[in-house]
Amino acid sequence: MTTRLARARQFGTVIGLLVLSAVLWALSPHFLTVANLLNIAQQTTINAVVAVGMTYVILSGGIDLSVGSIVALSGVALGAALQSGQALPVALVVALGVGVACGLVNGAIVSWGRLPPFIVTLGMMSIARGMALLFTEGRPVSGFDEGFRSLATGRVGFIPVPVIITGVVYVIAHVVLTKTTFGRYVYAIGGNEEATRLSGVSIGFHKTMIYAVSGLMSAVAAIMLTARLNSAQPIAGMMYELDAIAATVIGGTSLMGGEGSLGGTLVGALIMGVLRNGLNLLGVSSFLQQIVIGAVIIGAVLVDTWLKPRAGRG
Amino acid sequence: MRRAEWRTSVAIVVLAFAVAGLSCNRAAPAADDKPTVALVLKTLNHPFFVDMRRGAQEAADRLGVNLQVQAAEREVDVEKQMQIVENLIQTGIKALAITPSGSREIVTALVKAKAANIPILIVDTRLDAKAAADAGVQTEAYIGSDNYAGGRLAGDHAVKVTGGKARVAILEGIPGHETGDSRLRGFRDAVKDTPGIAIVSSQPANWERDQGFNVFQNMLQAHPDIDLVFAASDLMALGAIEAIAAAGKTGKIRVIGFDALDDAKKAIAAGTMEASVAQFPSEMGRLAVEGAVKVIRGEKLPADIMVKLEMVTKDSVKQ
Repeated sequence: MTTRLARARQFGTVIGLLVLSAVLWALSPHFLTVANLLNIAQQTTINAVVAVGMTYVILSGGIDLSVGSIVALSGVALGAALQSGQALPVALVVALGVGVACGLVNGAIVSWGRLPPFIVTLGMMSIARGMALLFTEGRPVSGFDEGFRSLATGRVGFIPVPVIITGVVYVIAHVVLTKTTFGRYVYAIGGNEEATRLSGVSIGFHKTMIYAVSGLMSAVAAIMLTARLNSAQPIAGMMYELDAIAATVIGGTSLMGGEGSLGGTLVGALIMGVLRNGLNLLGVSSFLQQIVIGAVIIGAVLVDTWLKPRAGRG
Repeated sequence: MRRAEWRTSVAIVVLAFAVAGLSCNRAAPAADDKPTVALVLKTLNHPFFVDMRRGAQEAADRLGVNLQVQAAEREVDVEKQMQIVENLIQTGIKALAITPSGSREIVTALVKAKAANIPILIVDTRLDAKAAADAGVQTEAYIGSDNYAGGRLAGDHAVKVTGGKARVAILEGIPGHETGDSRLRGFRDAVKDTPGIAIVSSQPANWERDQGFNVFQNMLQAHPDIDLVFAASDLMALGAIEAIAAAGKTGKIRVIGFDALDDAKKAIAAGTMEASVAQFPSEMGRLAVEGAVKVIRGEKLPADIMVKLEMVTKDSVKQ
């Protein structure tokens, strides 16, 4: 039942994306061009990757408000490592390590401190942001070599490198979520934590790992963002948590946990990317854009709740 | 099941059309053959940029060009600003005027504008010269005020009104921004040769009014004997004025701001604020559009088009 329902929901989201695209195609002659579609793909990558971690966390019944701050902290760690002359692979490992470490701290406190994830990650949001500002004295770290920047500016064939990175991330994350026991436990913990614990699963360990995944994804996003801006800003990533939650929710993942998919999240992120792009092309004021995006978020969840009690009969 | 799918689809179709309906009336101007000039601002929720847009719009109407004004939701969101530039390039704009949210970061997007042969005019905040040169980005002109000179103006005024003897606090903007850094450098350079002026505290309040209040309240706790505060923007200065009032010290601490916003002028007239350095954002907007139109016609612009600065004090605000 649940999987059929999820599939129906995802189908609806895809239709939504297609209809939105059709409307924009009708309204703007600039929308459906190869260059513009590549722009959308590239502009969606950062939110899409952060949303992977967010989907894991929300599927397990949690929330991670610290992702944006972790993007900033990982970014400045990466920037500092590169500027101190470290080799690129070393700097990347430093960035990923910082992200994972923040996630592990989040997860450990949620698991063994028995605090609500909202509180723990709200605290981490402030701590990681403060550390990024303290570490850089508030100043951006900028100016990197071409090799690193190609992570954002490079292309394989005609496809931008960040799009490829995002694709690889989604494939791996999807396989882990659907084909491994860890993935099963993500759903199980979100569906019924007590039952999962009684069946002998170490909830603490798995939750910690789930938040670590979220930290890791924030770090991957930080690498792409730093390469894109040619600068690591301690104030980067503000409000990314809300964009990631929005993509996840539009994609049909239930905030109560246990239901949802990464495919849905990717489509959710694309809907947001297409909307922002289209509203830019049409010259809609940024104030109106916020209203539209807010309406889409509420609309998508409204559809969810509308659909649920009827699905059994339908 | 099928009914559920159907319902979802219908709901999203309705939503999409709602979106389209909202957007429709805004999409019209691109239809005629007037050239379109894009003005990308840092944000539209600051009076400074709202004034700039007004000046730009008046010039665009007068010169018969379409003006597309876009801005990120938050002033510091340079990634969003890059997206806006990338998207505008697709719409076939003939010139791009931009107030960079990040002097270095925005260069990447400008490379793309240049590749599309779109002339670029920089407004208000300068590009980082080295980053632009490294990326091979040439711009048509810089239009703005000399923030360093404005800071000096404020510093000279501080020395004059205090008789060269004061304990001074500074409210900084977001660190690492060229605009704020230049104002602070100008102020510090202007007061540094006056031995009686001591800068007792200098902290960022990130351009915001509420942070100006909080930060200055904390400064007053640590240094109750502050005589004068220089805020790198009026919003922070207005916050500081509230903090001074809350401490019951109105009239005992002089406040010098920057931007000469309407609220600041009222405060100056009321005597709660000493002075503010006036910039003329609507002039910047006007000159940006006029410059863009000249460039489209193939004319050359001077590298720097400077907009005047003025010290607004109680005497000048009355006029």
